[in-house]
Amino acid sequence: MKKIIIIEDESALRDELAVLLQNAGYETVCVTNYDNVSEQMKDADADLILLDINLPNVNGETLLQEFRRRSETPVIMLTSRTNEIDEVLSISYGADDYITKPYNPTILLLRISAVLKRSAKNATVQKYHEAEVSTVKGSLVRNGTELILTKNEMIIFQLLLDRMGEIVTRDELMTALWDNDEFVNDNALSVNISRLRGKLAELGYPDAIETRKKQGYILK
Amino acid sequence: MRLTEFMRDRLTAYLIYAITWVLVLIFLFAFHVPAEAVIIVSILVLLGAVAAELWAFLRKRSYYDKLVSDLSQLDKKYLLSEMLDEPEFLDGHILYEAIREADKSMCEHIAEYRRESSDFREYIELWVHEIKLPVAGLQLMCHNDGNTRYNEQLRRIDEYIENVLYYARSGSAEKDYIIKPVSLKRTFGEIAVRNREELQERGISLSTSDLEAEVMTDGKWLSFILGQLMSNSLKYGATEIIVTGEDFPDRTVLHFRDNGIGIPESDLPQIFEKSFTGENGRTHNKSTGMGLYIVKKLCDRLGHTVEASSVQGEFTEISITFGKNELYKFE
Repeated sequence: MKKIIIIEDESALRDELAVLLQNAGYETVCVTNYDNVSEQMKDADADLILLDINLPNVNGETLLQEFRRRSETPVIMLTSRTNEIDEVLSISYGADDYITKPYNPTILLLRISAVLKRSAKNATVQKYHEAEVSTVKGSLVRNGTELILTKNEMIIFQLLLDRMGEIVTRDELMTALWDNDEFVNDNALSVNISRLRGKLAELGYPDAIETRKKQGYILK
Repeated sequence: MRLTEFMRDRLTAYLIYAITWVLVLIFLFAFHVPAEAVIIVSILVLLGAVAAELWAFLRKRSYYDKLVSDLSQLDKKYLLSEMLDEPEFLDGHILYEAIREADKSMCEHIAEYRRESSDFREYIELWVHEIKLPVAGLQLMCHNDGNTRYNEQLRRIDEYIENVLYYARSGSAEKDYIIKPVSLKRTFGEIAVRNREELQERGISLSTSDLEAEVMTDGKWLSFILGQLMSNSLKYGATEIIVTGEDFPDRTVLHFRDNGIGIPESDLPQIFEKSFTGENGRTHNKSTGMGLYIVKKLCDRLGHTVEASSVQGEFTEISITFGKNELYKFE
């Protein structure tokens, strides 16, 4: 289970963020004492850090700059400051992403999983049963048979695969598509899913995607 | 300053001189001074008076002519006192001191207002950051509770909050933006995904083309601008939004077109004016007349031009032109 540290001084927000991340299958650690945040960041040995900029007694950007000298752990800045200066500073100090409040929770989760995936550079090739998944080429390979997925099908398949065995709602799929500049409508999503089903069946995985009425889809 | 004007101004003094001279003549004749002596004295006194007047005229003329020409060349007239030399003659000196003092007091007065206005703006920024926390909290709570009922209202609250923030920013004298290459595609994508639910609920289709270009602008400001345009399309009955980029050697133009109710031709020249709501404002009561005004001000500050074209009942198209100034790249 991936571990995420939440450094956010607004308690209501922090608690809800923890619930959101736990529901999405992450382990969370909340920082509540701001005297030695930088020590806590280092000691927690997390996979990802969510860092607010406005903290009591300390500035998130300074923390980040300090932290980057010693660690490569991905950091996502979460802030209500909407100005380009803070974003440019944060990114130049080594933040992996910069998200402004209020955020769409689904997008936040997508960004977190994208950053985690990027940081796991030497991870093994992602597999779906026996098939190898190549996100770069947008293809699935099983026993030498290569199947090309369209961009939309790949986005859908990737999200289902990341959360294999769990229900992924249509809303989440739609958000993921739109977040990749694919502004599809409801019908197009259904069409893409049925095409994806067809392709998976060709590879020898019939009924790979199960529909849960009014809830979403599960990849099995 | 002309000589005739100067003389007209001195007329009373000349009259007094003349009357005095007549009295002196009466005296001279009463004492039987020879006529030759009277003529010589008259000429000497007259020459002296003319010389004195001429000297007074010339020194004043050179000073005031310079003042007038400086003033006409000045772009900001209130800077005159900075350019003024101190005159040697008394009345000029008094005037000079008075202008300096008035100017100083005006500067203090302006500084006070500037301070107040920048304090207010800082407070607005702070307030916006603060109010966003409970909004973000509520949004997360709704999501965690699986409740989507409040999403639309929360989105609207967030939009109005942004309006206040950017209204404050658009009027500020400080440079609080950063010009750097910004991806049109990415920025529009963010706005699209933020408005996805409402767009889909209303069955509005989105299409984009040629947005690969990067433009020199402030990403956050552009994001707000596109958000405003999107929000207008949503308000005014669009079912299709088409966003296209057009790349020229010296500029990039972004076209944001929808097929909503359009803008009457008579309203078109005024849509970027403050508080202008026009015909559409009367029929759609959500209009405040601030959205496009702020968009225009932000574009002006960033150096982009924004134009609108529309045919009522057919389409509205807002075009933003981004310059490609090479100088920007060194920032």
